[in-house]
Amino acid sequence: MSARTLLEVKGLKKHYPITQGVLKKEVGRVRAVDGVDFSVSPGETLGIVGESGCGKSTVATSLLRLEEPTAGDVLFEGEDITTYDKAELKRFRRRAQMIFQDPTASFDPRMSIGESVGEPLLIHGISDRNRRREIVKDLLERVGLSADDIDRYPHEFSGGQKQRVALARALVVNPELIVADEPVSALDVSIQADILSLMNDIQAEFDLAMLFISHNLGVIREVCDRVAVMYLGEIVEIAPTEELFSNPQHPYTRALLGSIPQPDPRQRGESITLSGDVPSPSNPPAGCRFHTRCPDVIPPEGYEFEQRHWRSVQDLRQRMRKGPLDLETVRTAHSDAAGDGHVQTAEDGQSVLDDEGLKAGIREEFDIPQRLSDDEAEDVLDRALTAEVSDDHESGRDLLDEEFQTPCEQTAPELRETSAGWEAACLLHDEQRQRVEQPADD
Amino acid sequence: MMAADTDNTRRGSSRFEDIDWNEVEQRSGSRPLLTTIKLGSFALFGLLALYDAIRNGPFAEWLLEYISGGPQAEYTVLGIEVATGAPTFDFGSFVWDVTGVDWLFVATLMVMFWYAVVPLARNPRMTRYYWRQFRKNRAAVISMVYLVVIFLVGTIVPLFISVPTSNFQAQLLPPVFTTVSTAAGGDCLVQVTDSVCRGTMAHPLGTTRDGRDILKLVIFGMRVSMQIGLIATLMNIVIATAIGASAAYMGGWVDELLMRYVDIQLTFPQFFLFLLLSYLFEPSLFLLIMIFGLFGWGGISRIVRSEALQRTEEEYFKAAQSAGASPLYVVRRHVVPNVSNSIITAATLAIPGLILAEAAFAFLGLSDPTIPSWGTTISAGRNYLGTAWWVATIPGLFLFFTILAFNFIGDALRDALDPRQE
Amino acid sequence: MRWYVIRRVAWAAVVAFVILTITFLFLEITPDQQVAQLQFQAAQSGGDPEAALDAYEQRRGLNQPLWDRYTEYVTNYVQGNWGWSDTRSEPVLDAIVASLPYSIMYSAPSIVISTVVGMGIGLYSALNQYTKTDYAATFVAFFGISIPNFWFGIMLLLIFGETLGWFPIIFQTSIADTQTFSLANLRQLFLPIVVLSTGAIAGNMRYARAEALEYVRAEFVKTARAKGATGWRMLSRHILRPTLVPLSTLLVGDLLGLLLASSLLVEVVFGIPGVGRLSYDAIINQDTDLVLGTVFIPVFISVVGNLLQDIAYTVLDPRISYGDR
Repeated sequence: MSARTLLEVKGLKKHYPITQGVLKKEVGRVRAVDGVDFSVSPGETLGIVGESGCGKSTVATSLLRLEEPTAGDVLFEGEDITTYDKAELKRFRRRAQMIFQDPTASFDPRMSIGESVGEPLLIHGISDRNRRREIVKDLLERVGLSADDIDRYPHEFSGGQKQRVALARALVVNPELIVADEPVSALDVSIQADILSLMNDIQAEFDLAMLFISHNLGVIREVCDRVAVMYLGEIVEIAPTEELFSNPQHPYTRALLGSIPQPDPRQRGESITLSGDVPSPSNPPAGCRFHTRCPDVIPPEGYEFEQRHWRSVQDLRQRMRKGPLDLETVRTAHSDAAGDGHVQTAEDGQSVLDDEGLKAGIREEFDIPQRLSDDEAEDVLDRALTAEVSDDHESGRDLLDEEFQTPCEQTAPELRETSAGWEAACLLHDEQRQRVEQPADD
Repeated sequence: MMAADTDNTRRGSSRFEDIDWNEVEQRSGSRPLLTTIKLGSFALFGLLALYDAIRNGPFAEWLLEYISGGPQAEYTVLGIEVATGAPTFDFGSFVWDVTGVDWLFVATLMVMFWYAVVPLARNPRMTRYYWRQFRKNRAAVISMVYLVVIFLVGTIVPLFISVPTSNFQAQLLPPVFTTVSTAAGGDCLVQVTDSVCRGTMAHPLGTTRDGRDILKLVIFGMRVSMQIGLIATLMNIVIATAIGASAAYMGGWVDELLMRYVDIQLTFPQFFLFLLLSYLFEPSLFLLIMIFGLFGWGGISRIVRSEALQRTEEEYFKAAQSAGASPLYVVRRHVVPNVSNSIITAATLAIPGLILAEAAFAFLGLSDPTIPSWGTTISAGRNYLGTAWWVATIPGLFLFFTILAFNFIGDALRDALDPRQE
Repeated sequence: MRWYVIRRVAWAAVVAFVILTITFLFLEITPDQQVAQLQFQAAQSGGDPEAALDAYEQRRGLNQPLWDRYTEYVTNYVQGNWGWSDTRSEPVLDAIVASLPYSIMYSAPSIVISTVVGMGIGLYSALNQYTKTDYAATFVAFFGISIPNFWFGIMLLLIFGETLGWFPIIFQTSIADTQTFSLANLRQLFLPIVVLSTGAIAGNMRYARAEALEYVRAEFVKTARAKGATGWRMLSRHILRPTLVPLSTLLVGDLLGLLLASSLLVEVVFGIPGVGRLSYDAIINQDTDLVLGTVFIPVFISVVGNLLQDIAYTVLDPRISYGDR
């Protein structure tokens, strides 16, 4: 691998406006990609991994200018392609190609695969039909199909075969970079290995750089030299593959890795379950975007929390921001949280829970212990819960809001090199670094 | 470099990585042979049409007046005499005064050839596949044979026979093998007995009150129906595709505006729109075709637009873009062919409507009475229905079967080209 | 949803207005036949063609500026003053209203018959696909759509009127006036109703069959069948309800245009003095105001019909949102 960079992406953003009314007034934005930086060297495979909806496909289409990026620079061999005019862009298209997820949809059903594979040649100036045919036939053989298939139509092939054709079409103009967007996700598991090994071979033979996008960590591990982990439009960690898998630095990466199903029960460690739903990209959380689900979210100064309990309290706090709690569910599901002493039976036979019982029930609902270890924190929590069950939702909510602020929501972490040697975006690492740099402070 | 290329034609340059792209960029693209022939044929056609227009066309007289300052003057443009009124082709025994409708018809046939027949021939696998699907519908195949016959007869035969003329010696003859009593009042050519008039082979389908041969009327009627059906439908297709594709591709207010206009045009029932225009403009066949062609495209444009919108969502659209194709290329090479199936089906089902409309107008007496349309003959036959039933019946039968044939074919095409069902 | 209805009604008004405007422009462009005739007559009798032209224009109000004529035109039509029929010497609207009953006499039964029978056969066909009945029904449908209705009328008159004498050839207005609901009137209306229904039944049937087929094959029907639902219950609950949505739109929308056009031809062939016949006579006699009026009737019916269709579609189908249209 040479030291020069083939592709460098700086501050790439892609926002989609949400409009209302006839005049299309912008009322919000979907921040699909919100500032990503990475680079790819010649011959290298960089993987981008993340849950669906985190923006990884949008990164692919934006950096190739299939959709115009909202902001950012994309430097291909040192030149910024976002400033290219039509002719230059067309030349660029010869050097960077894309493979799509759905092999069936990516082919025009009315064109034979020979015509589809030869189309980029035609577009870029090879008008001699016979010459195109020769090239296509040769290429089809090399991706594992037969030259006789050249006149067949897409519907005559299986998914795996079509993806080979897609690979041929991407190769035919001899690009330097291939962007593969979930290339094996639509295929059967047994075929995936074949296609991946084909891609590996091709890459080695032609010294191609590849940007490999997937939500499947197992596949990423197979194919990529380096991996970038994306969450909600941002990159949270970027590292060489094996190191990432053995020593993940970001809590989100740890959670993702924990979710890989392990067939061997003895190797199944503790899997980390993330609480809450993925926030919407049109309204990302303040500060660190992952803080609403992060198991390692930083507790506020002045309180001593056990990490698990702190996460649960934070869940309660977030839930209360959205509105009053549903006390009915608490009543029915957690009526015995405080013990029998708090249940009374009314005249109509229905059991009624008193306030203490309700508060205990809420704690149980959110996995908070009946008494926190830190007295001050316990006091705050108790007061907030009392307010809640007495129908004074606002005071309870505001109290929790003020007292239990986490630094993670106040500051957005930047992608910085960690002690492990690669970059991650987490305040924990900033803290550790601060402590290392200024040991006297506390 | 060139010499090395020819040396390695077998081995070297069939590998994709051996393509020297710098060289490809410098060389300008050569046009394939077929395209040259196609463009040449259209150019030739254009020149001939222009020639005829200058000599005989409707605006030739206006041009003459404008240039020379007075009517009746003689003038030549590029060696062509303007507005002489002489027939276009006058080579001894072959005389053909090409009318405006004829030019349109030839143009239509040329377009059909280059854009329908030739692509089918170049793609034999696909053609064979479609044919196999189509063949499953027996009614459609019979219809196709019938229509081909009608087309050929209607197009070629009128070139060699004369227009049906009145013949007062052969009024109201019945068709061959039938008889009718002489109380009909016409002069019978062949009489068997005093009171029975027999048909002859000279007029196999009988004659009208004027003595005009019904077989000839039917044949010329075929030509009229073919001309209206094909020319107007082609105009509809072209306009509808242009508008539907533009609306789908450009989106935004262009889309909104165009579709609103289509909405309005479609709300006006097509029959009455044509009726009103026919009343106001008193059209010749040429003008009638113009009216049908310019105002009948609304429904098809909606189909084109919705199909085009679907296609742009498809990934192969993005794939072509990522390969470096310009938007025009993508529309031409990917959107239009995929939309064409629906267009063909819709068009085939629209043709009978136009033929029927023309026949209805002819029947009502709204169109040019000199055109030997099936509708005029039926209308003429209505007055003596009891005594000479064949005048109204026979052209109607042809009309009925022609429309039926188009409907069968359209239905079968829809199944063959547009299979949504498993 | 109420918002949507209001917007849709407003759009219908816009459409009607645009159509009025465009017709006005057409009228402006085309040469007036009467002018040529008038000038010819004036020249023949020794008078001055120019003066005759001026007088004519003044009488007709044609020498006013374009905009004034336009506004007068639009206001007239909106207010219900649809001009004067020279041939019948009465206001256009009166002539139309007088002829309406005759049109309704045969078209109302046709619509009812064709809708009920058409949908019925269509649904039955969908349920019993590929049976002989299905093929027969499809064949009848093709026949109905393809046959030129004016010719069909003539043939029926020939066979059942002339040759067999079962039905009268000439329509007698007096019977229609005085004995509207009698057998005699029915006799003379029978063939027109048959002709008009045939085309409409065919269209209805094919469409109903196609729509019902989509649901017959649908997963949820298979589920119902698996649960044991059979016959009429399944038909009515699972198939009829969703099919009604597109069918109700069909009723009003596409077939309306066809029906109106067919009725014009039917009236000419059978001699029924309805709106269509009125239109035809007006055309033959160059009575422009009357022609315009009788053409506007189907146009405005179509506008209203489309409006009702859209609203019905949106109301009946819970899947469609009223939001962006």
